[in-house]
Amino acid sequence: MPSSNPLPPKENALFKRILKCYEQKQYKNGLKFAKQILSNPKYAEHGETLAMKGLTLNCMGRKDEAYEHVRRGLRNDLKSHVCWHVYGLLQRSDKKYDEAIKCYRNALKWEKDNIQILRDLSLLQIQMRDLEGYRDTRYQLFMLRPTQRASWIGFGMAYHLLQDYDTALRILEEFRKTQLKSSFDYEHSELLLYQNMVIQESGALKEALDHLTRYSDQICDKLSIKETLGKLNLELKRYTEAEVYYKDLLMRNPENTIYYAKLQEAQQLITANEKLKMFSEFQELFPRALAPRRLPLTFATGEEFRILVDKYLRQGLHKGVPPLFVDLRSLYKDPEKVDIIQKLVLQYVDALQKVCRFSEEDSESLPKEPASALLWAFYYLAQHYDFLGDTERAVSYIDAAIDHTPTLIELFVTKGRIYKHGGDAMEAYKWLDEAQGLDTADRYINSKCAKYMLRANLIKEAEETCSKFTREGVSAMENLNEMQCMWFQTECALAYQRLEKWGESLKKCHEVDRHFSEIIEDQFDFHTYCMRKMTLRSYVGLLRLEDVLRAHPFYFKAARCAIEVYLRLHDKPLKDETAEQEFNTGIETIS
Amino acid sequence: MTRSKIELGDVTPHNIKQLKRLNQVVFPVSYNDKFYKDVLEAGELAKLAYYNDIVVGAVCCRIDTSENSRRLYIMTLGCLYPYRRLGIGSKMVEHVLKYVHSDGNFDSIFLHVQVNNEGAIDFYKKFGFEIVDTKEHYYKRIEPADAHVLQKTLRPKITNGDTKTGEEKKDNEK
Repeated sequence: MPSSNPLPPKENALFKRILKCYEQKQYKNGLKFAKQILSNPKYAEHGETLAMKGLTLNCMGRKDEAYEHVRRGLRNDLKSHVCWHVYGLLQRSDKKYDEAIKCYRNALKWEKDNIQILRDLSLLQIQMRDLEGYRDTRYQLFMLRPTQRASWIGFGMAYHLLQDYDTALRILEEFRKTQLKSSFDYEHSELLLYQNMVIQESGALKEALDHLTRYSDQICDKLSIKETLGKLNLELKRYTEAEVYYKDLLMRNPENTIYYAKLQEAQQLITANEKLKMFSEFQELFPRALAPRRLPLTFATGEEFRILVDKYLRQGLHKGVPPLFVDLRSLYKDPEKVDIIQKLVLQYVDALQKVCRFSEEDSESLPKEPASALLWAFYYLAQHYDFLGDTERAVSYIDAAIDHTPTLIELFVTKGRIYKHGGDAMEAYKWLDEAQGLDTADRYINSKCAKYMLRANLIKEAEETCSKFTREGVSAMENLNEMQCMWFQTECALAYQRLEKWGESLKKCHEVDRHFSEIIEDQFDFHTYCMRKMTLRSYVGLLRLEDVLRAHPFYFKAARCAIEVYLRLHDKPLKDETAEQEFNTGIETIS
Repeated sequence: MTRSKIELGDVTPHNIKQLKRLNQVVFPVSYNDKFYKDVLEAGELAKLAYYNDIVVGAVCCRIDTSENSRRLYIMTLGCLYPYRRLGIGSKMVEHVLKYVHSDGNFDSIFLHVQVNNEGAIDFYKKFGFEIVDTKEHYYKRIEPADAHVLQKTLRPKITNGDTKTGEEKKDNEK
C-alpha cells in the first residue's frame, strides 16, 4: 500500500487495527485507534487515517463529520488508493453510485490490481447496468483470480448480459469441464441449467436440447428438465417427443393450464372437437381436476358450450364455490355465452325454489341439492347482473341471497361492490363495514373494507381499520409504509386528490415511488449472494425484472396521480397563503 | 356428488356478530349485550353450526344451579329457515347431550319453548324431552306469550322445575 505519507511501524500497526475494527463493526474502538495516530502532531493530517476515521463515523450515523474527514483525508493524500476507495464507499452508502464509480476508478489508478476495489466496482457497474464496464472489471478479476469459481461465473455472465452468447458459452463450458460432479450437487445442477438457458437464448435450440439430455442425470430440478424438454421439442417441431413430456407433466399437475395449451400444440389439435376429446380424456383421468373442465368452455360454442357450462355451473353451485363467477367472467366477452349462462342460472333458481333441484325434470331421478345451492345461485346472478351493469337486478338478487342466508360474509362484500360499481362509494363502504364486522379476523375483508373507506374519502377511518392488522406501538400509516403496502398508499393519494389536499396526496405518491427505488436498491445484496449460491437463472430473472420494474401497474397508478396533481398545481397555483403553508408542510416530509 | 358437511365451531370475539345476526333472524326475541358477553365465556356451551362452511345455526347454553340442582339450560338453539330438517339442530342437541354426559354431574337439561311451536316441541321430544310445566306470560313482546318448559331428566331423583326457572329468558330479553 504505497502512500505519499507512510506511517512508521507503530502507527502502521494502529492503522491496521482501525481497518480490522471497521470490518468487525467495532466503530468505537476504531475511533480510539484513529485518535491515537492523529494525536501525534506529526500525523495529525495523515490522509488515510482521516479517511478511515470518516468512514467509521459514517457507520455511526455522523454523516456530516464523515464527509468532512474523508474529504480532508483525500485532499491530504490524493495518490492514495485507500483514500479514494473510502470516498467511493462513502458515496455508495449515500447511493451516489456514479460518483462512487469515479472514486473506485481513481483508486484503481494507484493500485490497479486491488481485488477488493475491483469487486466493489463490479458490483456498482452491474447495479448501474454499465455492462461494458462490468465485463472489463470481471475480465480483470478473472485474470487475477482464475482459480475462483466466482471469477468464471461473473466473467461468463457479463458476456451473456451483453448478448455475446458465443463468448459466454465458451467461458461457461470451460468452467463446467473443471467442475467435478458428485451425486447430488444442487449448485452444479443450477450451473448446468443456467448454461442451458444461455444456449437457448443464443437461439441454438437443438444444441440446448442435446445439452439438457446429455446432463439430465446431473440436474436436480426434475420439473425444470421436463418443462424445458417439452418446450424445446415443441419449438423444434418434434411433436411426438413434446407430447410425451407434456402428458407426463400433466400427470404431475393436472391443474396447470399452460401444459394443456402446449399439449394441444404438440398434438396439433385444430378443431374444437379434437380439443374437447383431449380434455375429456383428462377429465376421466382426473375427475377432481378443475382445469380440464374449465378450459373447454373457452373454445366450445353453441349447444356444445351449453352442455358443458351447464355441468360446470351445477357442480360449482352444488359444492358452493364462491369464486364461480370470477372463474367464468372471462367468458363474458362472448354475448352468446352470457345469454346461455343467464338462461341456465335463472332456470336453476326457478327449479331450486320449486323442487330443490337444478331442473324440474330431475326431481324424480336425482337427490335434492343442498340448501346452499339456491343461495349460491342468487349470489351468482347478483354478480352476473352487476357485471352487465344492471344494478337493479343485481341488488334484488343479492338481497334475495341475504334474506336466504344473512350470515354469509361474501354477500355483503358483493352488495358493497354493486354499490361501488353503481357509483355510490358511501353506501358501498357501509356494506363492506358490515362484512368486516362479521369476521374481524379476516384480513382480506379488513383490507377490502379499508379500500372502500378510502374510495369514500374516509382516510382516518381506513387507517383505523387497517390498524387491526398492523404492528402495535406504531401508527398504522407508518407501519403500512414500512410494509410497502402500496395499494393502501395509492388509494390514499387518490382520496387526498379528490379532497384537494394536494400536498398530502403527493406525499403518498412519493412514498410509493420510494418503494420502487428501494426495490431497485435491494438488488445490491443479490449481486454477491446469487453468485455464491449459484442461483444464476433466478438472478438473471431478477436483473431483467428490475430493468422494467417501474412498468408495474402500482407505479403507473401512483405516478398518474402525482402527474395530475402537479399539473393541477401548475395550471392553478395556490394563491391563498394558508393553503400554501399546508401544502408545504405536506411536501416537506417528502424525501 | 359430495355430501353436505355439518360442523360445529367456537364463538369468538371475531365472529360473534354472526351469532347476533343469526339470532336476530331466527328468534322473535332479541338478546342483550350481557347475553353475548356471557356466551364468549361459555366454551363448549356456545357453538356455531356450519353447513358447507356457512354459519346457519347456533346453540347457547348455561349452567343453572338454582333449586338445589345442577341443570343445563338451553338459552337458544336455532337454525336458519332454509337449512331446517337437515340434521343441523340434531347435531347441536347431540353436542349438548355429549357435553352433559361427559361432565356426568347434571341432573337435567331444560329449556323454554313458545306453546304454539309444535315443530320445536316434537323435535325435543325425539331426544327424550318432556313438557313438565307451562309458564303463563313468559314472553313480554310476542304472542302467544306462554311457554312450555321442556326437560330431559338425567338423574331420576329430580322433579320438575318450578316457578324460579321461568325467569331465565325474561332476564335476557332486552
